[in-house]
Amino acid sequence: MENGKNRKYTEAPIKVLLAKPAIDGHDRGIFVLARAFRDAGMDVIYAGLLPTPEEVVDTAINEDVDVIALSLLNGAHLTAFKNVIDIMNKKGVHDIAVVGGGIIPDEDKPALEKMGITGNFGPGTPLKIIIDHIKKRAREIRKLRENEYR
Amino acid sequence: MNIDNLIEGILNGDNRSIARAISLVENSDPVSRERIIKSIYSAGNAKVIGITGPPGVGKSTIIGNIAPMLSDYGKVSILAVDPASPFSGGSIMGNRIRMQKSLSRKGIFMRSTSNRLYNGGLSEYSWDIVKILEASGSDFIILETVGSGQSDIDIMNIADITCVILAPGLGDEIQALKSGIMEIGDVFIVNKIDREGSYIAIKDIRETLNLSNKIKTPVIGINSIDIENYDKFLDYIVNWNKKNYREKYVRKLRQIVLEEIYNKYSYYIDNMDYTEDTLKRDPYTTAEIIIDSMNKIIDKSTYK
Repeated sequence: MENGKNRKYTEAPIKVLLAKPAIDGHDRGIFVLARAFRDAGMDVIYAGLLPTPEEVVDTAINEDVDVIALSLLNGAHLTAFKNVIDIMNKKGVHDIAVVGGGIIPDEDKPALEKMGITGNFGPGTPLKIIIDHIKKRAREIRKLRENEYR
Repeated sequence: MNIDNLIEGILNGDNRSIARAISLVENSDPVSRERIIKSIYSAGNAKVIGITGPPGVGKSTIIGNIAPMLSDYGKVSILAVDPASPFSGGSIMGNRIRMQKSLSRKGIFMRSTSNRLYNGGLSEYSWDIVKILEASGSDFIILETVGSGQSDIDIMNIADITCVILAPGLGDEIQALKSGIMEIGDVFIVNKIDREGSYIAIKDIRETLNLSNKIKTPVIGINSIDIENYDKFLDYIVNWNKKNYREKYVRKLRQIVLEEIYNKYSYYIDNMDYTEDTLKRDPYTTAEIIIDSMNKIIDKSTYK
């Protein structure tokens, strides 16, 4: 596959939205991820500091992203991530994958998985594992969408 | 959602349909792109406002400020183009950060696209995306180029009004005299006029425009922190009446035809027999032979 010359919908660059949907200013980690995703050939959109969950979902719909990658380091993940999922359900958006990350204790992970937020990587996770996970989720979403237009 | 529903959604101004249609146009095979464009081509009538300028002069910030003001005059949509990485093909799109707050408040549709390594400051399918936004009932479409160099002037073929954004301290009057981006502006904006040297910058641009008989082209100094002088800029955009139908049409037509020809010839070049005789011949002669033989094929097949 030659860069910039993709023609098939399933092979086009994966589009990722990186967001921190609550009061949390620790953005060093998300910058590292943005760079890593770009170097992995993805189109990366960073939502900036302090977006509301509504803005995150709004952005995801307008940009038609494949994956929303949420990050929180302040411990509010069970509320803030749930807000994002709730708004997505209210708007009837079911074809965007949501993955999580940040300071997430092991005992919270099942609850997040149940909402449909996979990954939930903590500090020190090798970038390759995160990238592979995003690629896997994006492939699922692309398959789901492709069948809609045949 | 199949394509017919998608087209109906675009014409009704549904954000999800517009977003998905743009993804299809950008990423998909030519068949669905053609289908979408053919069915929406005649819909809508929008003023396309091109915003271009070097990196970091405040293009995105200006759009974030002017878009809510424009939305008092009609529906506004925004398309921003950001550069792709020449190494991985990926990109980081950051223009949204500068305008998100005002967009959410007014419900303005904004889309950022990667230029996918296309030269000229826009992406290959910017024309198609502008067409989709136009069909969705927009009255104004703001089109932001990548941070442009002196030769990224593709914007003038798509936009009805081209705004060149500059800042103080980018160069002396010789820089202002040069060709390329300094010739394409319908309005020149000098941002950050609170900075030192802003009057010299405005003077240099003004003088250069006067030299080339563009006395009516305005040079407006603005300040995006205090929203200073934005009303002059807004007035000029709203009262602009010239439409760029012909250039837009010609640019797209040329692109489609060239793409077709490129595909045909590159197939021929890739599949040619490279014998020793061919390699001894100089490439100019070989090219003439290829073009002659292709012309014969074209003559026989289409134009008879």
